[in-house]
Amino acid sequence: MNIDVLTTDSRFKAINDSAPDAVISGIFACDMLSHVMGHAAEGNVLVTVLSNINVLGVASLLDLPAIVYPHKIVPNETVIAKANELGIALFSTSLTTAETVILLHELGV
Amino acid sequence: MDPYIREHNIERNDIANAGTVASLTKRALKQRGLSREFIKQVTIGVYEAEINVVIHSYGGTANVAIDDDFVEITFQDKGPGIENIEQALQAGYSTASSYAIENGFGAGMGLPNIQAVSDEMDLQSSENGTYLRIKFNIKEDSYEH
Repeated sequence: MNIDVLTTDSRFKAINDSAPDAVISGIFACDMLSHVMGHAAEGNVLVTVLSNINVLGVASLLDLPAIVYPHKIVPNETVIAKANELGIALFSTSLTTAETVILLHELGV
Repeated sequence: MDPYIREHNIERNDIANAGTVASLTKRALKQRGLSREFIKQVTIGVYEAEINVVIHSYGGTANVAIDDDFVEITFQDKGPGIENIEQALQAGYSTASSYAIENGFGAGMGLPNIQAVSDEMDLQSSENGTYLRIKFNIKEDSYEH
């Protein structure tokens, strides 16, 4: 499924547009990076409240094309610049982690 | 293919650059035509070990060797060492600092993850430093088909 499903939904606010053709499949929600590292699968959308730069490192290593920050979290400019460099799409939403996962599931991710 | 040999320095608490060794190793494995699944296992092992050096040690080095038959990475840090290796190998046990935890680390899954993905793991530690060697055997099915 194309990342359009997120960019066209008003409940997700696109923070950057660095991966317009990204293909996403599946959801992984977690705030511990070792757990993400060990269990997330290629193509997953990562839902996390962690907004530091290491999340991008993990996403890049696992080929995760998109990160959704719940609770209106927006990462700093350094993180956004790094995401642009790595081609990882970032989104923010006012929903909680659980609500975000449910919505993504309803959208067919 | 020619063997790939690299040495990397890993700085204490350099969280911004944590993952560099894993990223460069992943790229080298891709160039050798290894499968996504094989690369993922190696990447997990290298990343976790690299993070351990960053968040737990006074800094150290990583030596990466890739040959036709194996990938071997040795990490050597400058201390302070693991007080109880048996406990450190238990899933969920962590001595991570609040700084590490704030950055998403310290779940106590590093060494258990490394053990789970690697074919061989050798861990020795004293107050002078920790030595970790992890090895992944390259087999016929480790390549992309």
